[in-house]
Amino acid sequence: MPYQIDNRPADARESLYFPEIFRAIGLVVTTFWRNAFFSRDPNTDILERDRTRNRVTTLQYPEEKQPYPAGYRGLHRLVPRPDGSPRCVACYMCATACPAQCIFIEAAEVEGDPIEKYPKQFVIDELRCVVCGFCVEACPKDAIRMDTGEHPPPTYEREGQIYDIRRLLRGAPVSYEKDPWLVRPSKLTDAAQKANRAAARPYGTAGSDEYSQTPGFSVRELTAEARARGEGGK
Amino acid sequence: MKRFVGMWLVIGAVLVGLVGLFYAFYALAALGAKGAVALGFPGFYGSAIVNAVTLMAVTLMTVAALLTVAERKWSAAMQDRIGANRILVGGKFALGGVPYLLADALKMLTKEAIYPVARSRFLFEAAPVLAFAPTFALFAVVPVGPEVRALGQTVGMWVANPDAGLLWVFALAGISVYGTTLAGWASNSRVGMLGAVRASAQMISYEVSLGMSLVGVMIAYRTVSLQQMAIAQGADVLGPIPALGLLLQPLGFLVFFTSSFAETKRAPFDLPEGESEIVGYFLEYSGMKFGLLFLAEFVEVVILAAVTTAVFLGGWHPIFFEGWLKANLDPMLFGAVCAAAFLGKLILLTWIQLVIRWLLPRFRYDQIQGLCWKLLLPGAILNVFVTGAAVLVDPSLQVLAWIGVAEIIAIFGITLAVSKPKAAHGGHDHGDAHGHAAHAAGH
Ligand code: SF4
Ligand code: SF4
Repeated sequence: MPYQIDNRPADARESLYFPEIFRAIGLVVTTFWRNAFFSRDPNTDILERDRTRNRVTTLQYPEEKQPYPAGYRGLHRLVPRPDGSPRCVACYMCATACPAQCIFIEAAEVEGDPIEKYPKQFVIDELRCVVCGFCVEACPKDAIRMDTGEHPPPTYEREGQIYDIRRLLRGAPVSYEKDPWLVRPSKLTDAAQKANRAAARPYGTAGSDEYSQTPGFSVRELTAEARARGEGGK
Repeated sequence: MKRFVGMWLVIGAVLVGLVGLFYAFYALAALGAKGAVALGFPGFYGSAIVNAVTLMAVTLMTVAALLTVAERKWSAAMQDRIGANRILVGGKFALGGVPYLLADALKMLTKEAIYPVARSRFLFEAAPVLAFAPTFALFAVVPVGPEVRALGQTVGMWVANPDAGLLWVFALAGISVYGTTLAGWASNSRVGMLGAVRASAQMISYEVSLGMSLVGVMIAYRTVSLQQMAIAQGADVLGPIPALGLLLQPLGFLVFFTSSFAETKRAPFDLPEGESEIVGYFLEYSGMKFGLLFLAEFVEVVILAAVTTAVFLGGWHPIFFEGWLKANLDPMLFGAVCAAAFLGKLILLTWIQLVIRWLLPRFRYDQIQGLCWKLLLPGAILNVFVTGAAVLVDPSLQVLAWIGVAEIIAIFGITLAVSKPKAAHGGHDHGDAHGHAAHAAGH
């Protein structure tokens, strides 16, 4: 218990009233001195801040963001393959699992392939989404994730909150050993692959290993690799 | 560490800037005096008119306006916050929140003025002016700088130098209660009226102790002219220590500062505008009329600091190295340094007022009256008698200074003598926290 209020009657000194005020003025002046004359530790983890001199705990929000806890469900993204096309195979699992029914998928067949489908259109209405994460759980291809560590940014129009595939498909590509497209060559031309990668919006700022939901998978490393290859991503 | 150095650089730059500014003001005043002489009037007519512009319209209003920024930033520093810094000039520089001043002014000026239907038409318009004008005019008698010879003229840094300086202060402080009272009454709102009644009761009570607290100073310096008082405070009394009002009259200072704090109607004495209960006497005001009432409060803060500086903190005396400065500097520059010292003290005092304003919660009504009548007024009366006796015994003020030293030591001692918290004995309500006249005598 940090503050214990001692409700005793004031003693003679306290009844004079002014001495206690002087003491309190000293306290406030010290605080002022510390905060005005020393700079703030901008560590976003406020509990870790060095508050020996400046005691300010403010987080300058849009410029400084606090790291979210592990497993934070941020804005959705559609995970790309290394060639930039979505991992999604338009199986409708996520749309079926979604309790808010806010995922719309228009499937199309991959040309020359009798089985594989891809999402021609993939739309999430972020205003209806209840951020439950069921879509992520339901996906058999690890194609939809909420690991961006971002909120849906505010918009002036409702339409702005409806995310289609162009806005969803972004971030570091993900690959697994047994992914079928790794054993057969990509159907996309090199130029198309490059264009795909360039078109994908760069990955958000707050993404880090904590947010990745696959053990052993490092968004940070993949982002760094992508950057080394000279592709988008901050 | 960079910030530490930077802050001191800023403070230094402000002081140097003030010296430069007042150098220019002295020059302007001298030019004004010259012009008046050329037209066949006494020289001080011209310098008074120029000073009215430079001191009252420029210096006072700038300081008062900057106080709105200071209120944000300083209070933030006192409360472990950062304070207003979202207006970025050039997308980058917050400039210490100063641009908020412009935003504030723009807001006040362009806001819609709403008029209550049942208002008293004339008084509703007149009240903000009545609240603002007397406090503003108070600054006229404040001696900001010494009298020096500049450009062949003898000019002083004050607008008026009436012999009845302090009485002018009392008179105008007394009038300013009309503004608030009429504001509440003319808006024909019960709640506004409540605020006005509270304001008048509070201000009239505190005027008594305000007046009493300065009687000691008048006795000690044998004058009521603020200019004479400022000069008298330069004389050495205890060895090299000058006869500052603070040294001679610590108790008087305490009572005066507290009473004038109550006159400004700001927290902890902001009962007339208790937002959580009655909003206050300016409830019905909006737009720039509210702005004027609001500004009057800030001007009052500056005035209070100015009068306190002039009476208790040695006026324009820089105190340190004064002899050297006087001997080595060109008189105009010496005057400018003195005036800058005055402004420095003034800013320090406004800062202390803000500290207190953000430190203490609002008093209850009976606590306000109790503090005034049971603690401050007896203290002030005691001070008058002690001062009178001391001056009677020793007109060279030495005895008074020693009494002052003893008082300061006593205040320090009592402040530092923090008793160990005793074992709590249950939830015993102690109600009135301070009103003990018996202890005031021992103070
Ligand atoms: S998080 Fe939940 S509500 Fe939002 S899209 Fe996924 S399944 Fe639907
Ligand atoms: S995101 Fe996953 S679950 Fe949803 S359609 Fe694509 S592959 Fe299926």
